[in-house]
Amino acid sequence: MISYFVSFLIMGSIYAMAALALNLQWGFTGLMNFGIGAFYMLGAYTSAILTCPATTEHLGGFGLPLVVGFAGAALVPGVVAFLIGFPALRLRGGTFAIALLAIHETLLLTVRNESWLTNGVWGIRGIPRPFFEVINPRHYGYFYLIIAGGLLILAYLAITKSVGSPWGRILRGISEDEDLTSMSGKNCWSYKMQSFVFGSMVMGIAGATYVHYTGFVSPQVFNPLMSTFYVWLIVMVGGTGNNKGVIVGAFLVWAIWVGSDFLTDFVPAAVATRIGFIRMLFVGIILTVTILTRPQGILSRKRLIADWYR
Amino acid sequence: MADLLVSGIIYGSIIALGAIGLTLIASILNFFNFAYGDLFSLGAFITFLFLDLLGDWGAFPGLSFGGGLVVATLLSVLIMLAIILLIDRFFFKPLREFDATPLFMSLASLGLAFILRAIINIVWGPEIRYYSTAIQISKKLPFGIRVKPDELFIVICTLALVTLVYLILKKTRMGKAMRAMSDNPVLAKASGVETVRVIMWTWIIAGTLITVAGTLYGIQVQLRPTMGWHFLIPLFVAVIMGGIGSFWGALIGGMVIGISEEMITAVLQNAFHSMQIDADMSGYKPAVAFVLVVLILLIKPHGIFGKKEH
Repeated sequence: MISYFVSFLIMGSIYAMAALALNLQWGFTGLMNFGIGAFYMLGAYTSAILTCPATTEHLGGFGLPLVVGFAGAALVPGVVAFLIGFPALRLRGGTFAIALLAIHETLLLTVRNESWLTNGVWGIRGIPRPFFEVINPRHYGYFYLIIAGGLLILAYLAITKSVGSPWGRILRGISEDEDLTSMSGKNCWSYKMQSFVFGSMVMGIAGATYVHYTGFVSPQVFNPLMSTFYVWLIVMVGGTGNNKGVIVGAFLVWAIWVGSDFLTDFVPAAVATRIGFIRMLFVGIILTVTILTRPQGILSRKRLIADWYR
Repeated sequence: MADLLVSGIIYGSIIALGAIGLTLIASILNFFNFAYGDLFSLGAFITFLFLDLLGDWGAFPGLSFGGGLVVATLLSVLIMLAIILLIDRFFFKPLREFDATPLFMSLASLGLAFILRAIINIVWGPEIRYYSTAIQISKKLPFGIRVKPDELFIVICTLALVTLVYLILKKTRMGKAMRAMSDNPVLAKASGVETVRVIMWTWIIAGTLITVAGTLYGIQVQLRPTMGWHFLIPLFVAVIMGGIGSFWGALIGGMVIGISEEMITAVLQNAFHSMQIDADMSGYKPAVAFVLVVLILLIKPHGIFGKKEH
């Protein structure tokens, strides 16, 4: 039971990291990123390929130390975000979201089809777990919780610090009124790019934290529902633009998710096979109810910066 | 190649039907409706439900279906319009009254999309279904083109509906009011356009189109609960490519997406084959639309027929 709780906390921390990154992009900058799963996936696969022992199944087996894996998991999504940002950040609002969703689906197709690179739908096995040989397997969860929790705290401090700085005030300005912000002489495109790349790097690290915990990665984990819209749900429940709220939201939503696993024991078998869809129903209902019932918190954020400029 | 062109036109005409409805919603209600794809599936499945209830009515000569499917489609349109107007009354109308931003409306529609897809999955299950399992014999036309009677029916049905919508938009008072709303909502309201009725008629036209499009897709291919979600990206691409709010843009955009999805992977495969490069392109068919949307947005961010500022 206690080990179950530890694994719950680890997964919650990983999702909290991804949600903090989305909060930076959406909550503070107003970028409707519907492709966050792609950056999470890039981080996961980069770290897996860099650190795995030699194999013929897919590219890599470089067997590099885990620190290199994590660095790569931040770097590759960052570079990809930078390249995508050139065309995509010229788009505003909904079209940006659609372009990112399209990019997510295309990258997912590539990972599924190019088995020389990623071993396709079979996924990558045997991804090393840090200090797994040294530590008693019974206590391994506690150890990994320190890593995941530590990374979450680092991500929280880095993001909170930066959105509280003058840099973060410009981001808020962009999300509230982009025209007004650029009229006050700020290069909005450049700031959006910095926020986009920074957030994507944090998502990549969350992906690496995930694969080094499970030791296995396959494309199924990164379908848009589980990887992208699940994180959106966390941010909506936790409160857009509220970093502490988002962390609470991550554990809360994961608790509901895991809780529906227990439900399968109590419902008839015919219903249990459709539990995935009942979860999907949950996602939809929570998302819509949050949006409908919390109009002040979510729909009309106070225009702090824009009003101050006027 | 000619065969691929023909199947591209048939697929494209179904996309065009949906895209015209989506572009009307995007311009008149001013948000990207992510639930539209799942309304497409729901329409097709409700037709399936009525087809089942009505029993066997026999088939029209040459076609795979008979009067039963026509009646089922009409009943399905009525039910779908009731569902869509209820959704608008209890979901989108409160959001409009909160003055929700277009991005929040999109996000809310995404929650709705999950609810609809989950309900389809729970009610009908994830199995593939068919309106008819009868095998059709293709008719030979000049230039080595082969067409099934069903496919001819789909194209004729699309042409008839598109003409009808065009006449409504061009000739009726309501159509004029709708075009005014999409051009400039503030000015339209000031000139005494009844926005409530315009919004209602927009949903009625879009709802009819999407239900028929879903049913036609069901005749041509098969019914799967996820079909609408996968159809959503080509729909959005057609709308963005044509320019948001443009009737002709959506029609031409839909055709372009349909034809290029059918042809581009085949052309690339032939090219690779002649260069003796061993590459399997068939898995990338869905990526064609994604790459197209990124290209279009790069070259003409407002679409082919789009106005500079909406």
